Amino acid sequence: MFRRLLRNPLSAFGLVVIALLVLLAVLAPVLAPYPEDAVGATVRPERQFEPPSGEFWFGTDDLGRDLFSRVLFGARISLVAGCMTIGLALLIGVPLGLAAGYAGGLVDEIIMRVTDIMLSFPPLLLAVALAAAFGPSLTNAVLATGLAWWPWYTRIIRSAAAGIRSREYVEAARAAGAGHATIMGRHILPNALPPVLVQASMDFGSVVLTTAALGFLGLGAQAPQPEWGLMVAIGRNYFLTHPWVVVFPGLGILITVMAFNFLGDGLREVLDPRLGRARR
Amino acid sequence: MTVQHTGRRGLGFIGRWGILLLAAALLLAACGGGGGAGDAGGGNAGGSGGSSSGQADEIDVAVSLQYSEVMVFWDPSDSFSNEIMAMQNMYETLLHYDPLADDFKPVLATSWDRSEDGLTWTFHLRQGVKFHTGKEMTSADVKGSIERTIQRGQGASFIWDPLDRIETPDDYTVVFHLKYPAPLDLIVSAGYSAYIFDVDVADEEWFNAGNDAGTGPYTVESWTQGEQLVLTRFDDYWGGWNDPRQWDKVVFRIVPEAATRRQLMETGQGDFTYGLPPEMVEALRSNANLQVVETPSFQNLLGMLNTEKAPLDDVRVRKALAHAFPYQQVVDHVMQGTARPARGPIPYGMWGHGEDLPQPGYDLDEARRLLAEAGYPDGGFSLVLTYTAGDEVERRAAELYQVELASLGIDLEIRAMPWEQQWDLARSPDPQQRQDILLFYWWPDLVHPQSWLDALFKSQDEILFNLSYYSNPEYDALVERGVAEAGLDREQAAATFIEAQRLLLEDAAALFIFDQKYVRVTSNRLGGYADNPAYPHVVRWYETYNAAR
Repeated sequence: MFRRLLRNPLSAFGLVVIALLVLLAVLAPVLAPYPEDAVGATVRPERQFEPPSGEFWFGTDDLGRDLFSRVLFGARISLVAGCMTIGLALLIGVPLGLAAGYAGGLVDEIIMRVTDIMLSFPPLLLAVALAAAFGPSLTNAVLATGLAWWPWYTRIIRSAAAGIRSREYVEAARAAGAGHATIMGRHILPNALPPVLVQASMDFGSVVLTTAALGFLGLGAQAPQPEWGLMVAIGRNYFLTHPWVVVFPGLGILITVMAFNFLGDGLREVLDPRLGRARR
Repeated sequence: MTVQHTGRRGLGFIGRWGILLLAAALLLAACGGGGGAGDAGGGNAGGSGGSSSGQADEIDVAVSLQYSEVMVFWDPSDSFSNEIMAMQNMYETLLHYDPLADDFKPVLATSWDRSEDGLTWTFHLRQGVKFHTGKEMTSADVKGSIERTIQRGQGASFIWDPLDRIETPDDYTVVFHLKYPAPLDLIVSAGYSAYIFDVDVADEEWFNAGNDAGTGPYTVESWTQGEQLVLTRFDDYWGGWNDPRQWDKVVFRIVPEAATRRQLMETGQGDFTYGLPPEMVEALRSNANLQVVETPSFQNLLGMLNTEKAPLDDVRVRKALAHAFPYQQVVDHVMQGTARPARGPIPYGMWGHGEDLPQPGYDLDEARRLLAEAGYPDGGFSLVLTYTAGDEVERRAAELYQVELASLGIDLEIRAMPWEQQWDLARSPDPQQRQDILLFYWWPDLVHPQSWLDALFKSQDEILFNLSYYSNPEYDALVERGVAEAGLDREQAAATFIEAQRLLLEDAAALFIFDQKYVRVTSNRLGGYADNPAYPHVVRWYETYNAAR
């Protein structure tokens, strides 16, 4: 599968860019020329809004901080927040979907109707509403996005679990006296999980974008955190005279989201042979 | 408007990756706030404002570019908002005040005097003044106008609190009897709630239909809500029209986007605008066709310190905080010089301002010493600062302050909140739930130090704007004494108010950050313009003229 992913130029490109982003994020404290600028510990008001130069590769922001260092650290925030959001959504969505698919009947009915209700809201709107209720902070933005995202995974894993439930090996396990928990955990989950993980990796781009959108709206990360969406929101005020304060964090968002979407497209092609053949 | 335009283009282009749309929208919306909007605004500018150029031989039209609706109120009794910019040209008051010279100019009154006890003020009215309705102004209109304003209780009508009754012994004399001595000359020249109008036609609905009944040099020609207001000259104005260069019409165009206003000014389609960010003003300074006019305003930025909550209940900690604020950095870099470091709460240029007050300067060593004295040698506590979301000046000042406090070992949490929420938090029933530091601006209703000293720092049982929760009986007594003195001897009152401010500084009740300058951009052809901070953002168009003629 991995080799087929690499054979598709778009997803290969996506994978390479993602690998690079992860590397940059991990090495940010080493690579950033002014790491203390990123966390807001240093300001140089007398050097604010300097254009990109050898000293400040991406220029400086409204308080004279090195934009390159801040954008680098922004990658950390975006990637970590994305992982946590997806993790939270899986943590809620997977057990619910598993229970619904395995138990069926009334339990299935209740869980799936709740899921349908949640799905009737666009995830961004729901995340905005939740973040507004929780109060603005990065943690709350992750929480809000995670809470808006789980129903998708519940649906996928439920349909997988419902199909697996009546397979012979599950019947066999039950006949051998295995409890419900064992059957769900040992026999159903491992077989139902892959499509969910694929979906989750394809969602990563949207999640990064939602976190940035919340930051942009003032409902996510708070100054002086170097979160890309927040940096774009603040830079917007100075865009006309000092475009670099918007362009670089904006590019960060664009590249990250694009890379994950390329990867997602590739994954879909690899996993859906019909689509793949039609293409070729 | 334009943001949507660019957004739609983004949809067509990136549609295949639906998710990317959001990224594009986000980025483009950010850009649209600046560049895109400018293009569209420039495009339709020719339609409405274009009349300002090319017709100089026939009539002179001045164009004022506003960032929001001008005519929020139409009723001169209720006025309490942007309409002051138009109404000061449509309506007049008995006197006009110049705060920088502390001088009054006769307008509808030609002379006035005050009794020895300060309780009786007599005004002699100008004769032959016509309302736009055609009627001649008499003392009955003055009495009727003020009584209607008081009776409606809107706007700044509370400025008339000292008034007991008005007498009109003859058509051109008005006598005010006060309950206690008060500076009535300031009150009758106030920017709000002091207009004189034709009481015979005064009716809320008639006003709201877009009519005016003033005596001013200009009268309403047309109004399109959210777009523009056109004033035209009133031929029977008592002051006459002696200079052919005076403006025949004044157009107030509403252009919310700062970038668009900048562009209109640059292309000669505007004569006056304000509310541009300092960075944009800097860029306009080098434009030979434009003037940047800076005047001290009566608006200042304050950081209210929670005097009721530990550790800020200790005056030494508050003083340390006051010494840690980077006043000059904020003035130089955030305000780009369009402010001056404050000296106590009363702004520069106003009576009661104390230039010699001992303002704490930026001095981290002193701050460290004070903290050690208070038992926090290495800081080790955290504070919550709230500011009004969207205010870039406050945010940048807060972030600069955060860095200074961090070097003292104090962790500053900065919270951006919509003003209503910020204010609600500041008035939480439990003082411990409230913020530690609150940033906000203050400006006066009446050009009177009372507007700050009373509203912001006098003990309040129910908290309104005393957001330092400051309570000092000695201070309260000084302010009350000053208010009483103001009606009789303004110099004496000013001295008392300065003493009161000295107490505020000794107790470090707040961070007095800066007194703002008003920055206006005018076209080169706008001659005779002078800013008057007592009437915020007002251009007295009658006194200006087309210098390009």
